[in-house]
Amino acid sequence: MTPIVSVNSLSVAYRSGGRDVPVVHEVTLEVAKGRTLALVGESGSGKSTVAATLLGHLRHGSRITGGSVHIKGSDVFALPARELRRLRGGMVAMVAQNAGHALTPSMRIGRQIAEAGGDIPVTDLLEQVRLPRPAELARRYPHELSGGQQQRVAIAMAIAARPDVLVLDEPTTGLDVVTQRGVLDLISGLRDELGLAAVLVSHDLGVVAHLADEVTVLRSGRIVESAPTRTLFATPQDPYTRKLLASVPRLDDAGLALVGEAGEREVRPRAQVPANAPVAVSARDVTVDYGSSRAVHGVSFDVRRGEVLALVGESGSGKSTLAWTLAGLRTPSGGTLIHESGDLARPAERRPLSLRCRVQLVFQNADTSLNPRRSVGDAVRRPLQLFGTVTSPAEAAGRARKLISDVRLDPALADRLPAQLSGGQRQRIGIARALAGEPDVLIADEITTALDVSVQAEVLRLLDDLRRERDLACLFISHDLAVVRGIADRVAVLRHGVVVEEGPTEAVFASPGHPYTRQLMAAALEPDPDALPPGDDVTGWADAAEPDDLWTNHGNGHRVRRWRPALLEGNP
Amino acid sequence: MTTLDTAPVAAPAAAPARAVRVWRTLRSSRAAVIGLSVVAVHVLIALLAPLLTTYDPIANSADEALLGPSRQHWAGTDQYGRDVLARVLYGGRYALGVSVTATLLTVALGTVIGCAAALRGGRFDDVLGRILDAVLSVPAILTLLVVVTALGTGPSVIVLAIAVVYVPQVVRVVRGAALAVVPQDYVTAARARGEGTWAILRREILPNITDVVCVEFAMRASWVVLLISSLSFLGFGADPPTPDWGLMVAENRTAITVVPMASLAPIIALATLVVGLNLAADGLSKAWGVDRIREGS
Repeated sequence: MTPIVSVNSLSVAYRSGGRDVPVVHEVTLEVAKGRTLALVGESGSGKSTVAATLLGHLRHGSRITGGSVHIKGSDVFALPARELRRLRGGMVAMVAQNAGHALTPSMRIGRQIAEAGGDIPVTDLLEQVRLPRPAELARRYPHELSGGQQQRVAIAMAIAARPDVLVLDEPTTGLDVVTQRGVLDLISGLRDELGLAAVLVSHDLGVVAHLADEVTVLRSGRIVESAPTRTLFATPQDPYTRKLLASVPRLDDAGLALVGEAGEREVRPRAQVPANAPVAVSARDVTVDYGSSRAVHGVSFDVRRGEVLALVGESGSGKSTLAWTLAGLRTPSGGTLIHESGDLARPAERRPLSLRCRVQLVFQNADTSLNPRRSVGDAVRRPLQLFGTVTSPAEAAGRARKLISDVRLDPALADRLPAQLSGGQRQRIGIARALAGEPDVLIADEITTALDVSVQAEVLRLLDDLRRERDLACLFISHDLAVVRGIADRVAVLRHGVVVEEGPTEAVFASPGHPYTRQLMAAALEPDPDALPPGDDVTGWADAAEPDDLWTNHGNGHRVRRWRPALLEGNP
Repeated sequence: MTTLDTAPVAAPAAAPARAVRVWRTLRSSRAAVIGLSVVAVHVLIALLAPLLTTYDPIANSADEALLGPSRQHWAGTDQYGRDVLARVLYGGRYALGVSVTATLLTVALGTVIGCAAALRGGRFDDVLGRILDAVLSVPAILTLLVVVTALGTGPSVIVLAIAVVYVPQVVRVVRGAALAVVPQDYVTAARARGEGTWAILRREILPNITDVVCVEFAMRASWVVLLISSLSFLGFGADPPTPDWGLMVAENRTAITVVPMASLAPIIALATLVVGLNLAADGLSKAWGVDRIREGS
């Protein structure tokens, strides 16, 4: 069978400072009807550039320096403008990463889909992407939909004109695990139903293992390895692929995996927290309100020195709100929040200096958490001066260099601006800045979410090293269960601002007691094409906690909020 | 130790690199270069006026009144026999001095208030917004006249009057720019450190809106120059016999058929300065806009 998509030794370069910088170098690939090819690589590998060429699109300033792209036999970059327009949408359609940005905010869903062309009624399309009550939904505006629903609408637009090729550029990045699972199932269903050829761009090997038939690994614009999915995951040939695969945290790792240059994997056992470790932060029945809505509803936990407590949940579960409250950016409306040296229930500016410097926050997105106009050295020096830990500028500079080397960076980077650093380096600077106050509590708010998988592994390892060296109590906020499994000593699962299950990591992962925890685990994607979703199908459930009887104890600190199967309701 | 030794060398290297980048950005916009040169020439002339002409701009000389352009008086003389060119050259001092002071004060006040409004938000922002709306709803020239009639003339009163008129507009623009910076995580990080409003404003917000403030400065300056000259023309600005362009036009417009240069020369001076400032503002905003896109990619 002849392939629908064929890319022949394609090279792309963009002009910068008067010379050509190659971004894609002699990439060759083919996709047949009904097959899915995944382009895998870290940021800057040129995977999105290759995917965009299938639609005849190049970023401004880029040009083809060699090779060709053929869709159904016609050369995309030789097509006249009118033909190219017919190709886009009609033959090749794209689903972009962030559907929230891809939809026009001032236009109703129905009209936007109708604009995409094709003869299929809008309601049929919405039904096809499994959205409930399509007729009503078509009259809504994009902001009235959830992220998952927006992505489904974007998919409906892409398939409206019945294209032959679907280009999926990180289609589920930024979605919650459960939502992601649903969207991926939808995509694979549609692909089989409509016989589409799909090109999937992703950095998430779990998604790739789940969806792709073949995988092409890119690095700095070159193909490193290309193989059928099963072969690639089972016997990766190239050291880079091996390292990439090894860097992905697994749900069954009993500790943090340390990955060598050639991809050998060694799981480091978790640090033992001594039984008599002092409690650094203690929260009792904390509630936080946003106006009239309650984001956190009576959460209690203790974090001891040297211990990592993970708060896990989907977006809207209140986990970030809790982190910000701890950091003094929100005021709790009820309950107590106590650090060994003072009350944390007050906003940061009203906490005494001695308390303020001991609870520090690391942000999710290091790109925006560093001032672009100030050198990274300055970012680290500022808290040193503010917290009065140094007396002279020279001492501040010295301490800042020490901190920068503590996070395993070259101190010479201190004079650079954040834009001159890579994402991983910036996140390390974010950690160095938090360490400047000599904290004993470190709050890590999704700190690895925006990072590539190999960088993520390095940052996690750094965090693990630091808490051993400095005896830090660490509150690790994440939606990624596999990451949590590797680094956390204890886990608390949050849902709608309520803890539904908590306990030692081993116990919770070995026997999740709450249906919501099981649902989260089932939705997590392992980088293994043969992985079966663990556990049985989650059926409906209802909260059954009574004010004086909240928990079912499973021993050893593992407890589950009371619940009952929802099916029993009404028919005894 | 080697890494520690190399670092101090890199630090001074970073500063010129920044200056070079700013210069390159400026040079990329022809409008900015022309505009800034025109303004620079005006400043030079105002500073060097005593060297450029030997005439006293104030001394009357009855027997040399209303002369046309000649070898002695290149732009002729006015009704009191004063050399027009000397008065135009010296006139730049008043115009530039008062407008630069007024613009500096206006932009500084506006920037601080605008940033504070964006940063504090809430009631402070709401109340301030309504007050500014009230001030903005009164025509500028009316406010000016009220202030000047109430407090008398003189450079300091003019500066104050200009500030009252233009601060609200600067606040609006700066607040808009600062609002884009305030939700950034680095501002949140500063809040989590417990920094004060002033420290956050100076360290985190101001460096990220300098482009907006600079463009605002250049743009306001041209309007302020015009406004001050209008005031002088109406008789509320500079007191005679101060050499001032607006005042000169007012004094000599009755004799415009006899000595047209006496009115035209100050008008030309005023026009070139305003055009120069406008070009500079335009060019700067474009150059910085382009710079921003480049940094983003």
